[in-house]
Amino acid sequence: MRPLPLWRHEVQRAGWTALLTPPLAVAAPLLIAFVDAGASASDREIAQNFFGALEMGVPLAAGIGAASLVGRDPAAELLLTTPEGYRAVLLRRLAVTVGWAALMAVLLAGTMVATGWWARWPANHGPLVGQLIWLAPTLGLATLGFLAGAAFRGPAAAGGLVAICWLVQQIFAETVQEQGWSRLLYLFATTRGTVPADWTANRITLIAAAAVFAAVAWPLLGRTERLLPEVTE
Amino acid sequence: MRIEISGLTKVYKGKGRALDGLDLVVPTGMFGLLGANGAGKTTLMRILAGLLRPTAGTVRVGEHDVAARAGRLAVQRILGYLPQDLGVYPDLTAREFLDYIALLKGIDDRAARRRRVGELLDVVALTADADRRLRGYSGGMRRRVGIAQALLADPRLLIVDEPTAGLDPEERIRFRTLLSQLAGQRTVLLSTHIVDDVAQTCRELAVLASGRLVFRGTVGDLTRQADGRVWTIVTPGPAPVSGTVVSALPHDGGMRYRVVGPERPAPEADRADPNLEDGYLALAQKAT
Amino acid sequence: MSAVVRYEMVMMLRKRSMWITNAVIVLLLVLLNVRGWDDVLRDPDVRETIASTVFLFNLMLPVGYGCLLADRLIRDTRLGVAPILDATPASPAARLVGKYLGVCAATTVPLAVVLFGFAAVYAVTAGQPVALAWAAVAFAVVVVPAVLFVGAFALTVPLIMPAPLFRVLFVGYWFWGNGISPTVMPTTSQSVLSPIGVYPNQELVGWRGDFTVAGPVPGATLNFLRPEATTATAWLSIGVLIAAAALALGVAQALRVRTTR
Repeated sequence: MRPLPLWRHEVQRAGWTALLTPPLAVAAPLLIAFVDAGASASDREIAQNFFGALEMGVPLAAGIGAASLVGRDPAAELLLTTPEGYRAVLLRRLAVTVGWAALMAVLLAGTMVATGWWARWPANHGPLVGQLIWLAPTLGLATLGFLAGAAFRGPAAAGGLVAICWLVQQIFAETVQEQGWSRLLYLFATTRGTVPADWTANRITLIAAAAVFAAVAWPLLGRTERLLPEVTE
Repeated sequence: MRIEISGLTKVYKGKGRALDGLDLVVPTGMFGLLGANGAGKTTLMRILAGLLRPTAGTVRVGEHDVAARAGRLAVQRILGYLPQDLGVYPDLTAREFLDYIALLKGIDDRAARRRRVGELLDVVALTADADRRLRGYSGGMRRRVGIAQALLADPRLLIVDEPTAGLDPEERIRFRTLLSQLAGQRTVLLSTHIVDDVAQTCRELAVLASGRLVFRGTVGDLTRQADGRVWTIVTPGPAPVSGTVVSALPHDGGMRYRVVGPERPAPEADRADPNLEDGYLALAQKAT
Repeated sequence: MSAVVRYEMVMMLRKRSMWITNAVIVLLLVLLNVRGWDDVLRDPDVRETIASTVFLFNLMLPVGYGCLLADRLIRDTRLGVAPILDATPASPAARLVGKYLGVCAATTVPLAVVLFGFAAVYAVTAGQPVALAWAAVAFAVVVVPAVLFVGAFALTVPLIMPAPLFRVLFVGYWFWGNGISPTVMPTTSQSVLSPIGVYPNQELVGWRGDFTVAGPVPGATLNFLRPEATTATAWLSIGVLIAAAALALGVAQALRVRTTR
C-alpha cells in the first residue's frame, strides 16, 4: 500500500472534476424528487427518484470521470519513466474517482435507509445486497470509461462513448430488455425494471463485464508509445 | 555506467525510420549527442528511457537489456530523465511537484523525501521560489525544476533532452555548469542541437543525421573536421555564394562574413581557426 | 473570419474520434432496430420515413458531438496557441464566431453522410428518389439547428466548469429535455425548446407517427412551452434554438474578455 501523501497527490490530480461531478449528478434526481414531493407525487414515485440518483447519477459521474483520466496529463512523459509505471498512477486515480462516487452513493443510501425511504421502493433488495443497485452499474460504466480512455486516449471521445451507452439504455429500455443477453447488461434494472428473477444475474454480469473491461484496458495502457503526449491531443 | 547500442533501428508506422542501424558506445561521464531536428536524438533518448521499444537491434545500459521488460524497469530505477517537452502541473508549487515525483520514484520516507527535495531546490537555486505555483514560473525556472526532479533518486544515468532550448544566456550557462558538475561517476547524456552546449560541457560526442551515426569522437576531433575550411572575408558586396555563411557582422561600412567551405570563397578571404560549430557544419557538408 | 471557419473545420474533420463516435452511435442504432430496418426501407411514405429516421438520429447523435465539442474552445489555452491568436489583428469576437461556425460545419459532415446515405439507400429500396430532397429539408430544419444549439453550449459551458462535469450534466439534460415524457415529470421535452427539433420535424418534414411529438400534452406541466404545432411554431422553435445559441456565444465572448483583460 503506497503512502498516504501519494494518495493525497492523486486526489489533487483528480481535481474539481472528480470532486464536483458525483454530488451534482446525484443532486439532479434528488431535486426532481423534491419537486415531485411538492407536486403530491406518491412515496413510491419519490423513492424511485432517490434510487435513480443511485442507479443512474452515480454511475454516469463515475463513468465520465474515469473516461477523463487518460490523455490530458501534462507530465505523462515523466510519469511513464518512473519505476512504478504510469498504469499504477492511473489505477490510483481511477480508485479516487470511483471511490468518491461510491462515497456519495453510500452516504445517500445510508440516509435513505435511516429515513425509511429505502423500503418505499419495492425492488430495493434489502440494505446490504441492495448496494449492488449502484455498485454494479458504477463499476461497469467506470471501467468502460477507463477502457475507452485507454483506447481513444482522449476524454472527449471516451466520455462520449460512456454518455451514449447510458443514454441508449435510457431511451431504448424496452428494446434492451427484449433479449436475454442485453437484459443482463442493463444498467437500470432496479429503477426502470427488469424480469425480477434476472436482477441478481444482471448485477453479477455487470461486475463481470467491469472485470473484462479492466483486463482489456490494462495491456493497452502498458504500451507506453501510445501514451506519449505528441501522439494524442 | 556504459551504454552499448548495436544495430538500433526504430520505425514508426507511417512515418519511416527514425533510427537506422545505429551503433554507439557511451562511456561514463558527460557525453554529447548532436544532430539537426529530426535526426533521431529524441527517439534514442526515449528508447534509453524505456518509453519506446526498438524495432531492431540491442541496447544495453550497464548490464541491463532495455529490450526486455525487466531490463527497462531496472534502468528506470537508476534513471533521471528530463524530456524535451517538460510538462508540469501548473496548480502545484515546485516543492509539491518534486514531492509527488519523489513518491513515484519510491522515496516513501517522509523525512528523507523532504530532505532530498530541499537539497535539490538548493542545487537548482529555487529555494526562494519553492512555494510558488509552477504556473508562475519562467521557462528557465521550469527547466530547473525539471533537472531537480531528474536527480531525486540520485540516478546513475541522467538523460537530458534539449535542456537549454528557450533559456536566456545566463540560464543556459547556469544549466550547463550544473550538468557538468553532476557528471562525476554518472553517465550524463546531453542531447541537443545547440553546438555550444556540447562545446562547453563535453569531451566526447556523437553526431546523428537521418537516424544514423555520422561521427563519434572527441570535441577536438569534430572541430578538426573544419581544418582548412574556415574563412573570414570583409566585403561591401553580397555574401559569398560558395560555402556556408556562419556569421555576418557589420564592419567598416561593409560586412564581415565567416564562411565554412572546401574552397576559398574569394581571393581576399583569410583562413580562420575552426571552432566546434564550424566542425559540425564541415561534417554536414562532407556528408552531402 | 472565413479563414478561422475554414481551419477550424479542417481541424475538426481530421479528428478521428469524431468519425469513430458517430460510427459507433449509428451502429448501435442499427443493431437496436435490426429487424425493423427492412420495413423502414420499403415504407412508401417518404416524409414519414425521413422524419422518423431523423428523429432517431437527432435523439442520439448530438450526445456524441456535444461531448466532443466540449473542449474545442478551451483547447487553444491548453495547446498554448491562445497568446499567438490574441496577438493577431483579428477581433476576438470574430475568432469566436469563426471557431463556432467552423466546428459546427465540421460536425454536420458526418451527420450529412449518415442522413443522406440512408436517404440514398431508401430512395433505391423504396423507389422514392424524392427522399433525397426531403432529407435535405430535414437536414436544414432539424439537424442544423440542433448542431448550432448544442455546439454553442458545448463551447461555452466548459469555460465555467470542467469539461467532464459539463459532459455529465449535458447527458442528464439531454435525457431530461428530450427523452422523458412530459406526463412523468416537468420537462422541456416535446416543446419549442427541445433541441431535437420536434416541431419542425412534425410540421415541416412530416412526422406522422403513432404518437405526437410536438404540441400541448394533456396533464403535463410547462405546456406554455408547447403551443399548437403549426408551420409558424415550427419556425418559432428553430428561431428559439438559434437565439439560445447566440445568447450562449455572447456569454462565451463576455467570459473570454474578462479572462484576457
